[in-house]
Amino acid sequence: MTKSIIVPMDLWEEDEEAVLTAWLVDNDSEVSIGQLVAEIMVEKIQYEITSTCEGIISIICEEDDVVNKGSVIAEVS
Amino acid sequence: MSATKKLTIARAMAESLAQEMRADPTVFVMGEDIAQLGGVFGNTRGLFDEFGGERVRDTPISETAFIGAGVGAAMDGMRPVVELMFVDFFGVCFDAIYNMMAKNIYFSGGKSHVPMVIMASTGAGYSDGGQHSQCLYGTFAHLPGMKVVAPSNAYDAKGLMTAAIRDNSPVIYLFHKGLQGMGWLGNEPAAINQVPEDNYVLEIGKARTVVEGADISIVSIGIGVHHALKAAQKLKEKNISVEVIDLCSLVPLDREHIIASVKNTGRLLVVDEDYHSFGVSGEIIASVTEHDHKMLKTPPCRVTFPDIPIPFSRPMEQWALPSTEKIINVCLTMMERK
Repeated sequence: MTKSIIVPMDLWEEDEEAVLTAWLVDNDSEVSIGQLVAEIMVEKIQYEITSTCEGIISIICEEDDVVNKGSVIAEVS
Repeated sequence: MSATKKLTIARAMAESLAQEMRADPTVFVMGEDIAQLGGVFGNTRGLFDEFGGERVRDTPISETAFIGAGVGAAMDGMRPVVELMFVDFFGVCFDAIYNMMAKNIYFSGGKSHVPMVIMASTGAGYSDGGQHSQCLYGTFAHLPGMKVVAPSNAYDAKGLMTAAIRDNSPVIYLFHKGLQGMGWLGNEPAAINQVPEDNYVLEIGKARTVVEGADISIVSIGIGVHHALKAAQKLKEKNISVEVIDLCSLVPLDREHIIASVKNTGRLLVVDEDYHSFGVSGEIIASVTEHDHKMLKTPPCRVTFPDIPIPFSRPMEQWALPSTEKIINVCLTMMERK
């Protein structure tokens, strides 16, 4: 079953857009629950995205893409 | 072999610092906004939470005072890693750097060591003005008594930081803002690479051939390596084979490695984001021609920052910076010359 890695709704307070600044895993690599997978930046503050599921990651958003709270940035199957 | 994980340069620097601090109680970090904030460039993230305010010390905005304090601590048995937030701020603390830090080993007849690291951000490209955008590689490399390193990727960043901390001589560790993995400063995915989880040392003063080629040797450091790699990729489509050398360190300079490459290709291009005149690019070209000028099939070339203060205006700044396009054009011209 495919699950999604989503930018958490409570990661920062306001509703500004964020930019995905770094993937810390390769596409098609194995990820585990709680593993740090990406960094995003809001107004020069960096936030960590950890995986909420385990399996093989398929990256949807690339570096420099604009993302919002709730954006699906990768799928894990 | 230990497991690896993908890191940004910022994370790789912090990981090396944390591992060295765990292993050696004399290692400590100080600088502006490096404690709770984790450094404006992210390279001390997590250290304050693990090691506390005694070993991860925020300083007042007085580089004169805290760089001088670092020299004293280093001569008194500690291993300070001191952040000069922007290398451009060196002016107010240069007496401590080049008259004390760099020379006290010599002045003491070798009786005192100065195992100090200064880490400083370098580089332009995001409109931060002429006093926040310089590289100043040549300025530091020119003065004897200090080693100078500048990593282009996370793997090198960790290994060179560990080497710098363990070195009994002072080391200037210059990291390029555009490679840190902090989005607002630019983004270079190729700088984010696999890094062993265990600690390791990369020898200071060793260059690396990143891509082998037969026609032109491009010698560069820091972000210039990435411009050069992209140019090499494009030039391959035109059947021009480019060798890219990452110096990794400026002092000691790995002249042997450069000369061996130029001996094969017969053409030398230096890419350096520092100012054009009286700097790293001139030193590299001189080192090759001093060795044997007959190795060169064409005059050596350089893509550097012109001899002007770095403009704030984005179009002007981008016009002045080295780029992949500039490198490609110079390479094409070099190949046309007989």
